[in-house]
Amino acid sequence: MVETLQNLLLGFSVALNPSVLVYAFAGCVIGTLVGMLPGLGPLAGISLLLPVTFGLNPIISIVLLSGVYYGAMYGGSTTSILMRIPGEAASVITCVDGYAMTQRGRAGPALAIAAIGSFVAGTFGVIGLMLLAPTLASFALRFGPPEYTALLMIGFLVLAYMSGGSMLKTLAMAIFGLVLGMIGIDTMSGYTRFSYGLVELGDGVGIVPVAVGLFGVSEILLTAGQPMPPKVQKPTLRQLIPSREEFRLSVGPIARGSLLGFMIGIIPGSAHIISSFVSYGIERRISKHPERFGNGAIEGVAGPESANNAAATGAFIPMMALGIPTSPVMAVMIAALMLHGISPGPMLISQEPELFWGFVASMYVGNVVLLILNLPMVGLFVNLLRVPYSFLYPCVLCFCILGTYSVNSSTLDVWIMLVMGGIGYVFRKFDYDLAPVALGLILAPMLELSLRQSLAMSAGDYTIFVTRPISLTLFVLGVILFLLSIKPLIFKGKNWRAKVGLDAQG
Amino acid sequence: MTAARAPEPGSVQRGLRSDRVSGIFLVLLGLFIAWDGRVYPLGTLAEPGPGYMPMLVAVFLVVTGALIAAFGGKSELLSAMPWPEARRALLILIISAAGAFALERIGYRLTMIALLILFLGVVERRSPFAVVAVSLGFSFISYYVFATLLLVQLPLSPWGF
Repeated sequence: MVETLQNLLLGFSVALNPSVLVYAFAGCVIGTLVGMLPGLGPLAGISLLLPVTFGLNPIISIVLLSGVYYGAMYGGSTTSILMRIPGEAASVITCVDGYAMTQRGRAGPALAIAAIGSFVAGTFGVIGLMLLAPTLASFALRFGPPEYTALLMIGFLVLAYMSGGSMLKTLAMAIFGLVLGMIGIDTMSGYTRFSYGLVELGDGVGIVPVAVGLFGVSEILLTAGQPMPPKVQKPTLRQLIPSREEFRLSVGPIARGSLLGFMIGIIPGSAHIISSFVSYGIERRISKHPERFGNGAIEGVAGPESANNAAATGAFIPMMALGIPTSPVMAVMIAALMLHGISPGPMLISQEPELFWGFVASMYVGNVVLLILNLPMVGLFVNLLRVPYSFLYPCVLCFCILGTYSVNSSTLDVWIMLVMGGIGYVFRKFDYDLAPVALGLILAPMLELSLRQSLAMSAGDYTIFVTRPISLTLFVLGVILFLLSIKPLIFKGKNWRAKVGLDAQG
Repeated sequence: MTAARAPEPGSVQRGLRSDRVSGIFLVLLGLFIAWDGRVYPLGTLAEPGPGYMPMLVAVFLVVTGALIAAFGGKSELLSAMPWPEARRALLILIISAAGAFALERIGYRLTMIALLILFLGVVERRSPFAVVAVSLGFSFISYYVFATLLLVQLPLSPWGF
């Protein structure tokens, strides 16, 4: 514990450095804007900012990008509550009760509770990250290729089990992502696969064009031609203060949402999106007055908003400790670190203590910055929502082209982005969740390499996965999850996902 | 034009279902990947080659696509799916593709000006003053911020700007 505190002090000495503070603040502001703008989610926002980090040091890069990430989590709730437009996917469920509160003239308290819940959950997540990541990293030193294979397999199964929509569709999208991940040079044999003579595809398909295309461009295509934005309420500072009853009702959902979101955040999948739906479902289930949900229940704002922020922080644990991206956003974060020659994984915390602890401390700072940004300055941000969408989307699209091109100075990336935008648009029309595509794309090379390395280690003996205790445990967990996943298909009445509202999603 | 008759309660509407169509598309995609990946050595189960994973993934895609199609009998009718934004979306994609084609040929600033003129002037039909102001403003300010201040490399036109 003393060592942790000493490390945290080291972290604060880094995070309170004026240049780091400025970038943390900039990240939070950009993130809040990104979260509020329909058409730009955290993933597209972070991907577009990636080229900007080329000239920065790794600590500042990760602080800036993570500021954008959790800033977007905060910002997404503002449009959900005020306009019933989710700025990003995790805020979809906040629309239900948040907007109902706005219609009843309680927009201020809804915004305040969302910001307070996000702050509490974010801080809880950082404490968890601080305590868990070093322990997990030292444990992960025992991981070899079979354990990584098992872990990645379990990731896909969890993704299917916890998916928001149809499990089959989620798996199909993850497999589609794996297909994209197979493009390029096979590291073990040197074969170039599915490159069709395009030299640039030798390095594979990048996460940035795919992410920006799937999440940014497809959103623009879906929302193009929408009418002028609706009238936006602009609550004053006085109107933000929740009543005593609203505070009392929010305490439990914030606490439960923080814990639940953090736990879901650690496991792979679109954690922040899933956690908000699960939290909403739980709050509705345990409420003595479930009929209030959908009509402006403050618990329906407090729980999901806390959960998605805690999940956003929790997702950093496997990324930092294992080097495994549990979400597309984490993959871009890893890419940002790797551009600076730093590989996240079990050795990161011991080899780069300043980076890890500086990052942890910057998250404390970021949470305070966001609380300040999201309460008194909410009126300022709301002005952005008054810009007509017909002006906004062409600029966002131009930013998408600019950001994608500048990662590799490659027009092929821009073409990939546009193709992915078109594919994403069609898939979304057919009710497919796109996050697993990005996850599959990132995990494909890792999964293939660890599988083939495991078989090389065991001279082709597949029992290597069940003779090593850690991989055996992970595979048993995977089998249990698989059985639980197919249970609703067999016993339709016993579907917990439907009970917590996951099946109601898109 | 006659109005479409509402379906009888409890009756099953006939026609292509969205999940059936998307499932079949995934099956075809899986088959294409398997066919296209046939040139890569599969190796053996004990010693997988570069074609092993693509084949495995293709098989999974075919199976998943087939299951989606099989369970998709109650999904939305394809003919009932609304596509009100499709024409505009296609137009946006075509203009963006033209932008991608032009980017390294006429440079960042001219491409952005052209793109914004097309988006705002042709697609959105905004006032000429707003079109000129936004296209010039966005192009030059973004170039200044990204290329000059943040040193991001952006393509120049053949005329050097």
